[in-house]
Amino acid sequence: MLSQIVSALGVVVVAVFACSAYFYFSNKILDLALPVSDGDVRAASRNLNRRAVIRPWLFLGPALFLLFVYLVYPVVATFILSFYDRSGLQFVGLANYKWAIGDREFRQSIFNNILWLAVVPAACTFFGLVIAVMTDRIWWGNIAKSIVFMPMAISFVGASVIWKFIYEYRGGNDVQIGLLNAIVQLFGGTPEVWISVPFWNNFFLMVILIWIQTGFAMVILSAALRGIPEETIEAAVIDGANGWQIFWRIMVPQVWGTIAVVWTTITILVLKVFDIVLTMTNGQWQTMVLANLMFDWMFRGGGDSGRSAVIAIIIMLAVTPIMIWNVRRANRELKGH
Amino acid sequence: MKKSFLMGVAVAALFAGAAPAADLKFAPGQDSKFNWKSYDEFKAAHADLKGQPLTIFGPWRGEDEAFFRSVLAYFTEATGVDAKYSSSENYEQQIVIDTQAGSPPNVAILPQPGLLADLAGKGFLTPLGDDNSKWIKDNYGAGDSWVGYGTYKGKDGKEAFYAFPYKADVKSLVWYVPENFEEAGYKIPTTMEELHALTDQIVKDGGVPWCIGLGSGGATGWPATDWVEDIMLRMQPPEAYDKWTTNELKFTDPAVVAAIDEFGKFAKNEKYVDGGVAAVASTDFRDSPKGLFAVPPKCYLHHQASFIPSFFPEGTKLGQDADFFYMPTYAAHPELGKPVLGAGTLVSITKDSKAARAFIDFLKSPIAHEVWMAQSSFLTPYKGVSTDAYANPQMKKEGEILTSATTFRFDGSDLMPGKIGAGAFWTGMVDFVGGKSAEEAAGEIQSAWDGIK
Repeated sequence: MLSQIVSALGVVVVAVFACSAYFYFSNKILDLALPVSDGDVRAASRNLNRRAVIRPWLFLGPALFLLFVYLVYPVVATFILSFYDRSGLQFVGLANYKWAIGDREFRQSIFNNILWLAVVPAACTFFGLVIAVMTDRIWWGNIAKSIVFMPMAISFVGASVIWKFIYEYRGGNDVQIGLLNAIVQLFGGTPEVWISVPFWNNFFLMVILIWIQTGFAMVILSAALRGIPEETIEAAVIDGANGWQIFWRIMVPQVWGTIAVVWTTITILVLKVFDIVLTMTNGQWQTMVLANLMFDWMFRGGGDSGRSAVIAIIIMLAVTPIMIWNVRRANRELKGH
Repeated sequence: MKKSFLMGVAVAALFAGAAPAADLKFAPGQDSKFNWKSYDEFKAAHADLKGQPLTIFGPWRGEDEAFFRSVLAYFTEATGVDAKYSSSENYEQQIVIDTQAGSPPNVAILPQPGLLADLAGKGFLTPLGDDNSKWIKDNYGAGDSWVGYGTYKGKDGKEAFYAFPYKADVKSLVWYVPENFEEAGYKIPTTMEELHALTDQIVKDGGVPWCIGLGSGGATGWPATDWVEDIMLRMQPPEAYDKWTTNELKFTDPAVVAAIDEFGKFAKNEKYVDGGVAAVASTDFRDSPKGLFAVPPKCYLHHQASFIPSFFPEGTKLGQDADFFYMPTYAAHPELGKPVLGAGTLVSITKDSKAARAFIDFLKSPIAHEVWMAQSSFLTPYKGVSTDAYANPQMKKEGEILTSATTFRFDGSDLMPGKIGAGAFWTGMVDFVGGKSAEEAAGEIQSAWDGIK
């Protein structure tokens, strides 16, 4: 353990040193290669211009290189792989795409993903907004906020394990150790195996993500709400608006931009949802989602790189429009200010 | 700064020194039930490997990992090889990642011939050579079957022997608590018909006959595949079983559907299973047998492989507190004899090196088997080991089932392509227990199989 820590620290020190050294020396070399001497004024100004052109590339270089190696290349490679067979050696054209359209499990995953997309971002944003508004007015608001925010600190797998216990089912006459079943039993109902109830089990899994992400929505929206000028609310109060009207007509329109950011961020997260499904059901009982299906085809028993690549591409295509929209909106906002 | 760095080094050195210098469980040369001669011979033949690295990736975790490490200690001691063992809960995925990424371990140990065949087909495995396959054929019970389960087509399309079987499991076992049987006056059934009768009798007496748990995290459903395979071997000839595992015999074939239905007779009867049908899919297979030991017993019977005593309550004495009987055959099918369903882990070389070859050689020495045998949870079809080394008479009984087996069949789901045997088949069984008919479940598994062609 200790030796790991020591070596990890060593790596950090070396990396930081190497990075600074790169920037320092590459800069130095550039200066030496294109000298700005007193002698020839024209050459000096030409070199100065050249330096200005080269320097940003020098500094961005490592980042661009890493971006290419870890992002651009994999995307291209995945795209190419999606036209090859399971071993990635034989070109099969669009066969993998054709398979995807016809596959029952694939369509199930698409359906489930849409379900997740429809429910989770909306629920997180809604609860986040409501909690943010309500906790602003009570003395224990900050305590409540901390509690709501806390699940953010738990990993998806950790959260899933916690919720697994909440949904836990014990058969027959055993005492129910699952919270949900215990409550159901308390009110005279019959305990259920929640995570294997078709269709509805999707919602039981979604609850976990909502539980984790509501805190995120709450924090961002709470900050936005604070930014609403007091005067607008005061004016509304004077005009005789009730709480409901103030919320919907004054507050929501003013934080609309932030709501959109929260919504899209969670939407992208939902498209990538994986850990929760893997931990809770591994896609069984009709809870499969795209990311898990991709993992399944790639890594379970030998792997089919072609089909998993197709699914990866489809997930990427689904995320892209949201990303573009998000970036554009952010740009517009930047220009506006 | 310098001082604290030196301190760090000193402490690091202290900790490094604390790592055990290969503690051997049984002192070499002492206990006569072990074949120490084989150990000394191996040691003499592989003295030139000192300090060489060897990475081993395997499925064993928890108690089994400790056992395997105790065996590995002998290898380390004999050769001086710097051997490192690692494992993963999702070893099927991990090994695919590691091989695809080009950083495989030297030796990969996997319980799935289907997965190994896939890896061999992609050129990730190193052939072990004909002398090793001949050795298995000569020295293992039902050696031909074992060689078959380690022989795959390589990247070049040529068949070769890639995987060395080490550690086996017998699956055709039904576990029970002798005391409970005595108290209730039940007799061990010798035919499947009697087993059905016993099941009904237990219900009539107000008890619950079976504990069945299919839960296994991401692998939920596999215990049911064992049931179906065991039943297949008892209703169909072994040739049909072989065809089934390659899909020459379709899942939708009446023979397969009948086997699934037969399993349903036990698992889908509210009165037959502890906790009711709903609990079958959700109960973890590791928790499931605990019902046998409850007072009063929650169930009387549990179908599970020979590894399950690892999950019995601590202090359970096999033979006394818990025992097993052979999963009986149908009196209506006497022509099928007494088939044995089993499984095993197969050792293959994923990155060739001298140390890796030496490790395979090590597995041929009886001592590599006996050390683990003596600590329980290990069976071997190797005929050259001293069966006195088995930790208890029950294991010896199971071991003899293996060494004397003539009809031995490997776990079918492990032979099927990964997407089926470690996927659709599991899901199908969970769906079946969840309420789908055998035809529906089988149809879905078959369509998944059609999908991968």
